Amino acid sequence: MAALGSLAFAQPWLLLALLALPALWFLLRVTPPAPKTQRFPAIRLLLGLAPTEETPARTPWWLLLLRLLAAALVIVGLAGPVMHPATQLSGSGPLVLVIDNGWASAKTWSERMQVAEAQLDRAAREQRRVRLLTTAPARPDAPLAASDLLRPERARERIRALQPHPWPSDYAAARSVVEDLQIDGSAHVVWLNDGLQTPETEALASRLQRLGRLELMRPEPADLPVSVLPPSRSGTDLKVQVRRAAARGQTARTVIASDERGRLVATAEASFDDGSRVATATFELPLELRNRITRVGVQGENTAASVALLDSRWQRRPVGLVTESAQADAQPLLSEVYYLERALAPYAEVTRGNLSELLAQDRAMIVLSDRGALRADLRNQARAWVERGGVLLRFAGPKLARELTGPEARAGEGTPLLPVRLRRGGRALSGTMSWGSPPKLADFPADSPFAGLSVPDELTIERQVLAQPSLELGEKTWARLADGTPLVTADQRGDGWVVLVHTTANAQWSNLPLSGLFVQMLRRIVSVGEGVAETADTGPLPPSSVLDGFGQLGPAPASVQALSTQALETNAISAAHPPGLYGLEGQRRAHNLGPAVGDARPLTALPAGVEVSGFQAEPEQRFGPWLLVAALVLLLIDLGIALLLRGLFGPAGGDGMGRRAARAAGGGAAAILLAVALAPAPALAQSGGGDAPESYALKATLDTRLAYVVTGVDRVDRISEQGLRGLSRTLTARTSIEPAAPLPVRLDEHPLAFFPLLYWPVTDQQAPLSTRVERKVNDYLANGGTILFDLRDPTPGVNLGGGLSGAGQALRALTRNLDIPPLKPVPPEHVLTKAFYLLNDFPGRYDGGQLWVEDTSAGGGDGDNVASVLVGYNDYAGAWAIDQAGRARFAVTPGGERQREMAFRVGVNLVMYAMTGNYKADQVHIPAILERLGQ
Amino acid sequence: MSPTTLSPRQRAEQLSAALPPLLLHAERVAASVAQGVHGRRRVGQGEAFWQFRDYQPGDSPQSIDWRQTAKADRVFVRQMEWEAAQSVWCWRDGSASMDWRSSTKLPTKRARAELLMLALMTLMIRAGEHVSLLGTGLPPAANRGTLVRLSEILRREQPDAARDLPATQPLPRYGQVLLLGDFLADPADIERSLRGFAERGVKGHLVQVLDPAEETLPYSGRVRFEGLQGERPWLLSRAEGVRAQYRDQLAAQTDAIREIARRTGWRCTWHRTDRSPQTALLAVYSALAQHV
Repeated sequence: MAALGSLAFAQPWLLLALLALPALWFLLRVTPPAPKTQRFPAIRLLLGLAPTEETPARTPWWLLLLRLLAAALVIVGLAGPVMHPATQLSGSGPLVLVIDNGWASAKTWSERMQVAEAQLDRAAREQRRVRLLTTAPARPDAPLAASDLLRPERARERIRALQPHPWPSDYAAARSVVEDLQIDGSAHVVWLNDGLQTPETEALASRLQRLGRLELMRPEPADLPVSVLPPSRSGTDLKVQVRRAAARGQTARTVIASDERGRLVATAEASFDDGSRVATATFELPLELRNRITRVGVQGENTAASVALLDSRWQRRPVGLVTESAQADAQPLLSEVYYLERALAPYAEVTRGNLSELLAQDRAMIVLSDRGALRADLRNQARAWVERGGVLLRFAGPKLARELTGPEARAGEGTPLLPVRLRRGGRALSGTMSWGSPPKLADFPADSPFAGLSVPDELTIERQVLAQPSLELGEKTWARLADGTPLVTADQRGDGWVVLVHTTANAQWSNLPLSGLFVQMLRRIVSVGEGVAETADTGPLPPSSVLDGFGQLGPAPASVQALSTQALETNAISAAHPPGLYGLEGQRRAHNLGPAVGDARPLTALPAGVEVSGFQAEPEQRFGPWLLVAALVLLLIDLGIALLLRGLFGPAGGDGMGRRAARAAGGGAAAILLAVALAPAPALAQSGGGDAPESYALKATLDTRLAYVVTGVDRVDRISEQGLRGLSRTLTARTSIEPAAPLPVRLDEHPLAFFPLLYWPVTDQQAPLSTRVERKVNDYLANGGTILFDLRDPTPGVNLGGGLSGAGQALRALTRNLDIPPLKPVPPEHVLTKAFYLLNDFPGRYDGGQLWVEDTSAGGGDGDNVASVLVGYNDYAGAWAIDQAGRARFAVTPGGERQREMAFRVGVNLVMYAMTGNYKADQVHIPAILERLGQ
Repeated sequence: MSPTTLSPRQRAEQLSAALPPLLLHAERVAASVAQGVHGRRRVGQGEAFWQFRDYQPGDSPQSIDWRQTAKADRVFVRQMEWEAAQSVWCWRDGSASMDWRSSTKLPTKRARAELLMLALMTLMIRAGEHVSLLGTGLPPAANRGTLVRLSEILRREQPDAARDLPATQPLPRYGQVLLLGDFLADPADIERSLRGFAERGVKGHLVQVLDPAEETLPYSGRVRFEGLQGERPWLLSRAEGVRAQYRDQLAAQTDAIREIARRTGWRCTWHRTDRSPQTALLAVYSALAQHV
């Protein structure tokens, strides 16, 4: 390996081939270029001709230069150029590669892997064997061990399989492994350190130095991982402490709180001041949101220590509400429990029970409403519970007041479960005999947990119990009235608190429980307590899910062992107990790495003679292959030029076919592009033209219109149109229905919903309905539409042979899949006979055909009992049809203008019937109504 | 309609429309078999009136001119002038060397030769001459269908190296032959071929169609020339060096052809594909018209 500054070659002797380039120049220069081939018909005349002066054609100089450059690139590329070559390994023995893969290594893991591979490259170049040693145990049952002497390729495979572990490195174990290491000759030791100071670092380093030269690589202090402590469980806000190793610099880190499914709940900033290692991120969240947080992590960090898992201890506080009976109260508005439960329920998990039960359940807070003396055993039990961290919230009231005057208090027992000594008797601040108005609540002191809550004006305290004045009374007071008397006092006992509200929890003594302030105060009190530490030793907790080295929660591998309560309390993190969640469903306990990390410092103390460097040293770069690629590209260019010179591309080619083909291809491509570009335009034009759905809908809805089904038979459709036009005119002249010109309805494209009545002439030439159209027509019928089928066939429905007539068959074919209700001939009293005109029969162009309607007598169905289907035989449109001049188009049979008039009356009645429904049916009651009115 | 979208026959007709009907004068009348429009100044089949003569027994009653007969006491028979047509056999070089052009802007030599030939045939048919294609064995005919049929034959014919020169075949005496091609073959072969016709008393006309590149040899540099008919390739290190020699060779070839034509009593015309076809048509037309 020959090095030239930052450039070196793996096979420098290959560069000697560069000396051959001038020879190549000469050769290329002498060899004439390949001739251009030219087809020529008159070749017979050329045969035997030779140019007078034979100056050989020369390869152009630039082409020569191109080829020489390509050759030079090939030579240099094959010589294996390396940028930033690593220095040579010292010693003669193997390369000992010590890799920290504890939790702190995850942050710089990819750099670590690159550096490790670069070291293996060095070893491979110098043909050294490699011994690998990782400092974090992979499994709890497998002690640390160094690998055998490996070839660099094998070592590379092992390194690529390495993963950082979420537990710390074990340098003491590593040192004992190193002590047992047998090395031939002096080794070159490279230690990829995680950059944190530990007590054993120095010892391990000096032990490694004995193997040979020690090169230690560690991340820069700015790249050291940060750790997150689980938030404290007290206080209203969630305060997350973030620690860093290096104290220098002012930075801000974003802390992310996410819920069980990984969704972001909130973010907060933790700003490190210059010189401080600790920063705090504060989440001010409503309790509902706060309860959703199961994980707090630092953005941009991927170590297990940058994640703090939160279990149920951080979530809803279990609150016990002491009731004498678990039954519902008969008069809830007088019950203290009722107010307390309503106020606590949004923020806490409330359980009712008697005191002894609740004490056994490890509630975080127990609320004791006005209560007389407690039994001595209960009292002791409660005191112990408070000292373990419970919050006992008491309310004053008549019973407490009585107790103060009772024998126990007089006997000197005192009131051990009260924060302050109370004076006997209460104080009535307002009453029938009182002159003054009751005092207001003063603003909360700044050191009170209630600080910042606003006091509503309408709050009045009518009675309270009074505290004995004492020196510490001021400190113990969380809230006081405007005149200075304490309203809420609290005292810390052990880890817990005893809090007394000097008035009742119902509206008896004050209206505090009715105000919103009461809810907020209770919430603050709930969050004061840290909760009761788990005391019952429930035995080892089985692992549920654990963090991997990169701080991702995953299923626990089989090697993880159950976690004892003791280990949980001491934050013992090891391969057997990686950070994660332990315990059965519902009782998960978070086991976090953050507290175990403690106060991490950057690595400073090292024995003399250790070469320390960062990971950022530029890695070796082999760019030989790139040079070869460049040479290949140049040769391809050369090939193109050669073909060009030989006339294979150019227009001078014999018949020009190639050029024409190219031009045709180009033209084709251009045509395709053009087609693609223009394609949407015709489509738009198509959809823009014609009867757009909107315009049809507007046309159909802005005016009332009669409509007919387009059968596709021109003659029939024309008669339909003219017939409906005639009927429309009649309607306009005689009734208040003034329809506009009738509209054709194409069943397959037009919506039907706009038309109350559809006229459908039946013809056997109509195409069968598609399934979609059938569904549409069924919808129309089901939702109140009316269709008049006109068979236009004077003969009765059944002919002599018993078969259906042509129109009948057509009707049957068309309506095969329609939901046609049962039909009957129009009964004499049907609404159709009196909707506008009084009619006895229903003639059209023909007379005698029966008109059938849906049998609506059974009731049910929609549309005011209006028949959805009418079937007539009499060719109504034919009778109504008028031409442009308004004259009738067809004669009616058997004849007479009277029949035509009757046909129009039938039409009017039909339209009235479709539009007004059974309105006219009510007319039957008119005589009775008139009679009742005394007419 | 632009000329390029027309079929070759249509283009040829368009071209020939500008010229008056070409009339070939018969050199000899006697032995020709077919009838033509040349007045033979004697009685025969034809359309132009020649003379009245007295009815003789044996004359067809249809030949009696009743109007003339009514003027006199005798019965007259109307006689027409005998008209005889000239037959022209055309040929164009169908070899692969004709199917070549030096630039896409130019037509191939074959296309140009066919255009000229069809144009001349159109003129001749309009003048009543009978035309046919040499080598097809079709009898000469003078209707428009002939032209369609012949152009269809031309269109279907594949380039064939063997057809560098027309095969000698028995033609009636005093027929006319029109040959179009590049005539780049050995002059001895050309002479042999032409003599085959000339010895039978057939007169003819040569039209040499050349590409401009064949005249100027515009190539330079190292060029390997390949023939189109399987000739051996010829490599020139500097093509521009032989340009003058090539011109001499071409001039020698042209002179040889002219000499052959002179000896056989034929005529010849030269045409380059970059020139207008009308020019060539006019030249050949005038040459044929003088060819009496």
